[in-house]
Amino acid sequence: MKKHTFIGPILLILIWAVVAKLQLVDRFFLPDPFTTIGKLFQLLASGAIIGDLIATLDRVVIAFIIALVIGLPLGLLLGRSEKIYRGVEFIIDFFRSTPASALFPLFLLVFGITDISKIAVAAFASMLIIIFNTAYGVMHAKKSRILAAQIMGATKTQIFRWILFWESLPQTFIGLRSAVSLSLVLIIVTEMFIGTTSGLGRKIIDSQITYEIPTMYATILLAGIVGYLLNLLFLVLEKRFLHWSAK
Amino acid sequence: MMHMSNTVISVQNLKKSFNNTEVFRDFSISVEQGKITAIFGPNGSGKSTLLNILSSIVTKDGGKFDIENFNHFEFSYIFQNYRESLLPWRTNFENVALPLEIQNRSKQEIRQRVEELQQLFEFKFDWKSYPYELSGGQQQILAFMRALVTKPKVLFIDEPFSALDYENNLRLREHLQKYFLTFKPTILLITHNIEEAVHLAEKIVVFSQRPTKVLEVIDNPLPYPRTIQLLKTEQFHQVKDKVLSVFQKATNL
Repeated sequence: MKKHTFIGPILLILIWAVVAKLQLVDRFFLPDPFTTIGKLFQLLASGAIIGDLIATLDRVVIAFIIALVIGLPLGLLLGRSEKIYRGVEFIIDFFRSTPASALFPLFLLVFGITDISKIAVAAFASMLIIIFNTAYGVMHAKKSRILAAQIMGATKTQIFRWILFWESLPQTFIGLRSAVSLSLVLIIVTEMFIGTTSGLGRKIIDSQITYEIPTMYATILLAGIVGYLLNLLFLVLEKRFLHWSAK
Repeated sequence: MMHMSNTVISVQNLKKSFNNTEVFRDFSISVEQGKITAIFGPNGSGKSTLLNILSSIVTKDGGKFDIENFNHFEFSYIFQNYRESLLPWRTNFENVALPLEIQNRSKQEIRQRVEELQQLFEFKFDWKSYPYELSGGQQQILAFMRALVTKPKVLFIDEPFSALDYENNLRLREHLQKYFLTFKPTILLITHNIEEAVHLAEKIVVFSQRPTKVLEVIDNPLPYPRTIQLLKTEQFHQVKDKVLSVFQKATNL
C-alpha cells in the first residue's frame, strides 16, 4: 500500500473527532472515534463479537459459493450462444435491477424464517451479477484471437477452453467482486430481520434498540472492514491470476 | 519449352464489394507451389481482403477460388495486427505451442518442434515469460514462430515487417528466407515495401487501383539465398526499378 492510502481515513477520523469534540452532534448518538475503535477492540478481544462475525462470514461465503457454482457455468454457457442470452436477457436484467432486499419477504415465505432464506436471497442476487458479467465477457471477446485459432483449425470446444474462457475472465472477476460485496450487504440486511440470533446485522440492530451506541458504531465499523477486506482479497486474486489483462 | 509450374492457389472471376465500394470485379490470379509470391499494390486495392477471402474469414460475392488440398493444419496466416492475435495469458512457449496443441500433438513433439524452430531462428526467448513482456519486434518473431511451428504448406503473411525497425526487419527477412529454403512452402506475402518484395519473392504481383486487377506479374530471377549483400547490387536495383515502374503506372504518380 502506498502512503497516500492513509490520508483519507486519517482525515475522516480527524473530522469525526472534531465533530464529536465540539459536540456538533449529541454525544450520545455520536461517540468519538477513539471510544468507538476502543470498543471494537474490546468486543474483538473479549470474543463478544466473534460469534457474530463468524456467523455473517459463514453465510456470505456459502451464498457466494452457491452463486459462483451456478452462475459461472451458466454465464459461460449463455455467453457462448448470443441467441440464448438474448432470450433470457430480459429476465436477468429485470431481476438484476430489482432490489434484492425487496425479494426477501418472498424468500421468507418460501424458505421460512431460517438461515436458508438469507443465504438464498444473497446467492440469487449475486448469481445474477456473475451470470451477467461472465456472459458479457465471453460475448465481447476479441475477434482477432478467435479468428487466429479458427484458422489454425481449432474446434469450437478448443476455442472455448483456450480463448473465450480466458477472454471472459477480466469481466468475470468484476462480476465476482461485485457479487461478494452484494452478498455481504444482503446478508447484513437480512440478519436485521426477525428470527435471527447471530450475525453482524443482528448485533447492529440489537445494539441500536438497546441504545448501546458505541457497540452499534463498532459493529458498523467491523462490517465495513469486512467488506473492504473481501474486496481487497479479490483485487489481490485478480492481480495474481489476471496479470496479463490490460496489457 | 516452358517449364510447367504447379498452381496451388487459383482465383477466378472473383467479385467483392464493401458497401458500395467495389474491390474486386472479375479478378483472377494463380499462385505457384513452393514459391514466395509478393503482392504489391496501392492502398485499398484489396490485398488483405484477398488473403481473407482465401482463408474464408471474409465471404466473396462471386467467382471462385481454390487452394489445392487445403487443410487448416497445414496452413498458417500471420495477421497484420499480430499483437492482437497472441494470447497474453499464455507464456511465450505456450503461444508458439498453441497450433500444435490444437492438432493434439504430444508434449514431447511440441517441445521438439519448438526447439527445432528456435535453432533455425537462432533466437533465444525467455519461454516462461509472457508476450506483453516482449518488445514489438520480439512479439512479431513469436507470431512468426507460432505460424511456422506446424510446418505449413501454405503460408499467408500480411505486412509482417511494417512495424519493425530496419535492423529487425532485415533479420526477420533472413529468418523467413531460411525457413522457406528449408521447407519450401508456398508463401503469399503482402508488402508495402518494394525492397522487401524483391528481396524475398520469386514472383511479384502488382495490383491496380480499385476495382483491382493484376497489372503485371514480375519474375524475379535473383538466385537464393539472397543475402544482404545482394540488396546493394545492380541486378537487385534493376528488378526494383521494374516493379516501381509498374507501380507508377498503377498509381498515376
